[in-house]
Amino acid sequence: MLYYLIVCRSLTYAQRTASALERAGITARVIRSPKSISGEGCSHSVKISQRYLPDALRILQRAGLSPKRVYITAGNGSYQEVAL
Amino acid sequence: MIYLDSAATTLQKPPAVARATAGAINRLASPGRGGHRPAMEAADIAFACREEAAALLRVDDPGRVVFTFNATHGLNIAIKTLARPGARVVISGYEHNAVTRPLHAIPGLDLRVARAPLFDRAGALEAFRQALDQGAELAVCNHVSNVFGFIQPLEEIAALCRERGVPLIVDASQSAGVLPLDFEGLGAAFMAMPGHKGLYGPQGTGLLLCGTDPEPLLEGGTGSESIRQSMPDILPDRLEAGTHNIAGIAGLLEGLRFLRRRGVGEIAAHESRLIRQMGEGLGRVPGVEVFRAGDPSLQAGVLSFRLAGMDCEEAGETLGNRGFALRAGLHCAPLAHESGGTLETGTIRASVSAFNTRGEIEQFVQAVRALAVCG
Repeated sequence: MLYYLIVCRSLTYAQRTASALERAGITARVIRSPKSISGEGCSHSVKISQRYLPDALRILQRAGLSPKRVYITAGNGSYQEVAL
Repeated sequence: MIYLDSAATTLQKPPAVARATAGAINRLASPGRGGHRPAMEAADIAFACREEAAALLRVDDPGRVVFTFNATHGLNIAIKTLARPGARVVISGYEHNAVTRPLHAIPGLDLRVARAPLFDRAGALEAFRQALDQGAELAVCNHVSNVFGFIQPLEEIAALCRERGVPLIVDASQSAGVLPLDFEGLGAAFMAMPGHKGLYGPQGTGLLLCGTDPEPLLEGGTGSESIRQSMPDILPDRLEAGTHNIAGIAGLLEGLRFLRRRGVGEIAAHESRLIRQMGEGLGRVPGVEVFRAGDPSLQAGVLSFRLAGMDCEEAGETLGNRGFALRAGLHCAPLAHESGGTLETGTIRASVSAFNTRGEIEQFVQAVRALAVCG
């Protein structure tokens, strides 16, 4: 299944992001970021289903939590950054 | 034993606090230190605690609710962020050593005390106004005196600071969970509080609310941006180096939930009634000097008194032996005693919580009467 990862700079930021999405009815799960996309070391990401990204971006913008980096899973297990 | 030392630590907690703290030891790992279930559950508890505190204390962003070990820890972060060597700093005449000692440790600080008589809100406000108008780079003020329960005019002092562009650090050690607080409304730079007093959490917990960018007091691992060799610039990570006291945080969360259910306003009214009863009762005992506000709305759940001809420590010990847990001495706040005129003698302090009853206060008054009359 394809999904997006919203990469966050802190665990708390990821939790706020997930919480805002969940309140809006979008299933969101905080996970450790895969090493290949974690940026400056360890980070956390919010995982959402592929079909929710446009809604999620709108909700997060309204909440003042606009993501800086979003990745989508590729078929070979790697991740591709999404242009926002 | 009748416990009347809640200004130091609330001993009687909601039962859920102990259950959550003990349960965390067996169930929770460390937030941000792994993707496994015990770590992620710990992360959920920590976030729930930040959110609960943010709602109670009116903080827009739960990320600016930082976990500390106690109020002193938070005050040290706040003071060392904003008080530069040589700076002029205004403080109230009722500050605790948790404020005055970190300030005195800063070289060349020009410390100005806004002195005012006890329970004189107008005087306290005017003293702050005059001191700020002489020029200041920082103000620090507690909300409630830990010695006398004096509720300082915090909203008005905060307004003075905002008008003059002076950052304000609030020591909410005696008011968090006891009086309604609105951090965003105050516009304070920082507000520090312990978890183990009016928030009913375990010892070793505290909160620092950040309205401005802080400097870390400790550097170390945060579970984030690990390649960088400087602390992250994002809160709360910037101030939370090292492993969290997650057992304490789990307990603190239950304390905060208790406050939400019971209502801070109701607790404030309950404590005010008890202190009024105590003050009136002790005031009728010959040889007892009670420090109480003429207007009960100026005093929180803390009351000091002295017994004529009796050392306060001896009186405290005697009452302790008769089943009353009190605190005697200077209460780590010599400046407050100087302002209240009790520096030479100290005081005996009784302080209440949501769990004290009118019957307990009546027993206490009778015990003081017996001590004063019969020895």
